[in-house]
Amino acid sequence: MSDEKEKELNRQEQAEAQPGEQEAEPKGEAPAAEPAAEAQPAEAAPSEPAAAAPAAEPTAKVSAAAPSEPAAAVDPEREAKLKAAAEARAARAAAKAAAESAENAEAAAVDPEREAKLKAAAEARAARAAAKAAAEGGDGGSGEAAAVDPEKEAKVKAAAEARAARAAAKAAAEGDAAPAEPKQPSPKQPQLDEAVALIRAQVGDDAIEEAYINELNGHLPTLVLKAERLLACAELLKTQESQDYSYLRNLSGVDYETHLETVYHLVSLKSGSDLALKVKADRENPQIPSVVSVWHTANWNEREVYDLLGIHFPGHPDLRRIMMPDDWVGYPLRKDYEPLDPEV
Amino acid sequence: MIRTEELLLNVGPQHPSTHGVFRIIVKLDGEVITEATPVMGYLHRGTEKLAENLNYTQIIPYTDRMDYVSAMTTNYVLCHAVETMMGLEVPERAEYMRLIVMELQRVASHLVWWGTYLLDIGAMSPFLFAFRDREIIINLFNELCGARLTYNYMRVGGVKWDAPPGWIEKVRDFIPYMEGKLDEYHRLVSGNEIFLARIKGIGKYDAQTAIDYGLSGANLRSTGVDWDLRKAKPYSLYSRFEFDVPLGKNGDCYDRYLIRLEEIRQSLRILKQAVEQFPSSGDVMGKVPRVIRPPAGELYVGIESPRGEIGCHIVSKGKAEPYRLKFRRPSFVNLQILPKLLVGETMTNLITILGGIDIVVGEVDC
Amino acid sequence: MKGLFKGLGVTLKSLTDKKVTTSYPDVPITMPDRYRGIQHFEPDKCIVCNQCARICPTECITLVGKANPDPEKKGKVIDTYDINFEICILCDLCTEVCPTEAIVMTGNFELASYSRDELFKDLKWLDENNRNVRQDNNNIGAPNAAKGGAK
Repeated sequence: MSDEKEKELNRQEQAEAQPGEQEAEPKGEAPAAEPAAEAQPAEAAPSEPAAAAPAAEPTAKVSAAAPSEPAAAVDPEREAKLKAAAEARAARAAAKAAAESAENAEAAAVDPEREAKLKAAAEARAARAAAKAAAEGGDGGSGEAAAVDPEKEAKVKAAAEARAARAAAKAAAEGDAAPAEPKQPSPKQPQLDEAVALIRAQVGDDAIEEAYINELNGHLPTLVLKAERLLACAELLKTQESQDYSYLRNLSGVDYETHLETVYHLVSLKSGSDLALKVKADRENPQIPSVVSVWHTANWNEREVYDLLGIHFPGHPDLRRIMMPDDWVGYPLRKDYEPLDPEV
Repeated sequence: MIRTEELLLNVGPQHPSTHGVFRIIVKLDGEVITEATPVMGYLHRGTEKLAENLNYTQIIPYTDRMDYVSAMTTNYVLCHAVETMMGLEVPERAEYMRLIVMELQRVASHLVWWGTYLLDIGAMSPFLFAFRDREIIINLFNELCGARLTYNYMRVGGVKWDAPPGWIEKVRDFIPYMEGKLDEYHRLVSGNEIFLARIKGIGKYDAQTAIDYGLSGANLRSTGVDWDLRKAKPYSLYSRFEFDVPLGKNGDCYDRYLIRLEEIRQSLRILKQAVEQFPSSGDVMGKVPRVIRPPAGELYVGIESPRGEIGCHIVSKGKAEPYRLKFRRPSFVNLQILPKLLVGETMTNLITILGGIDIVVGEVDC
Repeated sequence: MKGLFKGLGVTLKSLTDKKVTTSYPDVPITMPDRYRGIQHFEPDKCIVCNQCARICPTECITLVGKANPDPEKKGKVIDTYDINFEICILCDLCTEVCPTEAIVMTGNFELASYSRDELFKDLKWLDENNRNVRQDNNNIGAPNAAKGGAK
């Protein structure tokens, strides 16, 4: 559904549901209902004249809404309530416009401690990355990562700060001092540390860009590796007795608009422990070494990632298209893919 | 001397034994295969790309159509992934319904496999027997959720429909019937000398190769590796039930055949326990927000479908639609071993080996 | 040879089994109540909320509402309502979200036609498709929907 159509439908719904609050509703409600925070400033302008169209519908209540404005003097507390509601909505919309992932605001109202946990997790992640950057300052490992991806770090930090500010404001408003307890160390943290130490010892200090715990996924230890070191790390993780990640469960490619990435999910059949690896690649010339020599199962998975996302895997025995016809031009799963024939 | 040439033969895409639109380009020397190249993508419908514009409830009908023979497990993996991301709790009765339905689906899927496998090999009556019994399961699903193949049954937070009155009793009556039929199938086929001559020792590989190629399901367990996600990484309520995981020794097609039939028996065992433990009342849908928005982050879960490990990798940016949704399809990954297994085999064994891997092309192509 | 004869015994015994085949189309098949067949639409109940068009995964529903001709009442009435059965997958999400049960499934499934044009069903056809209308809808969108599944 296109955004404009959805907004039109939203407005029609509002026109049906609350015809009495016609004036305040379309301006405040429409941005709150529309999940894309980026589209707000653009959509606010066309929503204004369009709001006049449903308002012009010949229903008795709506025409009563216009005389309700002067009649608001008769009903002062209703007018005050409407204004307060519009202000609250505007404040929320402003807070949303300030942060990237705005949807947590509504979900947070549902579950405050979950919001606090997520915020704490993001902060801990940022803190850990910052601590690691500080610790390996001379290595140039994370320094390179920071240089490679400065806007991402800044965005993550800004989002974390905005979230922290919002949570602090909420705690102040609610009046209860949400105890800023130190975040419980994850049960998988030792496993992550062991893997990090092993890789750093055997492969090199600069192999790991970032290492964190993915709480959502059952505390999955996740390592972000550098592309050049991927093969060495993979072989190490497979052959080392203590790690024994001989089974590659899944290999997927993701297109973040700033870069491309492949994710590897590994599991050890004997101990049942999991590990995830991520490797980034830039969009102009994405090259990630192929792990087919380590895990044969990566063969077709990498072909699929090449076919749909365009990442090249040097070292792959037979890199050609697998799903699309062999002479297809373009990489369909990319976010900026334009199909030649949109109707098909 | 006779002059021989290498023959290039196209098996498929329209072929009764390739289990869908699937093509293998085979280089033959006489009747012996020297090289085989699978070509797929004839059924690629772009589910992963479409999913980027749909919210999670709307993606569920699309998951039905990926592995159409085992739609309930595919439904479940998506719902389970979203529920794990959001930390939602599913009511107990809903979990029991899901488990019963998934185990019934496992029986149905293995029946389809058995019938079509034997049809490929040349026996025609097992196909009819298998589909006659599968019809009972399909009719049960029809009464439950209104469709015979593409159920659209599970929702994030529970299931859509509760069991209609009398349904659980019908499941309970089906279990001894199917156990009797299973013994009959063993009498019909498993001792048949012609069948054994065609199956034993075909398509062998060892445990190390299986792990390296990322095989899952019966393909992995036929080599003796004890890895069943229902036991290794329990999900849903599987930890409450007693069941065995059949393992093979030789890693050939015969072991896979026996394992799958034994899995039917174990599924019936789970069903018997589940029907007894079924809670007499309860909600079938948990407390779910009106719009389903997982928090930003990513997640991978894998469950045991009749074919192997089906996994769902979601990258979410906190919106109602996923940012990237990738399905790890077992048929896709299991099929990679086919070119390796086919070298040196005859053409007849190609069909046997391909059928033994148990693929569904809708899943291979996604 | 023993295995072969055991198998033959099973086959011969199945000669005495009850037949499970039906004589469709001479004998029509009645589907259970919850069957998701072709939709039935009642224009009087529709309030043009557009939920069905929004939830449809394949976007096969197009509808246009018009203002209520009765000047006393407010709200909209449905003007045109089309379902494109080339792409409708009979997934039942539209009936799930309809707040008034204006659109429901029936037990009819015979939709095959010789021409693609006949697969675009409009309001009139959907209104007349009222045999075998499904009773048990488990409608999550309706305010009075029994929570937690159909009873």
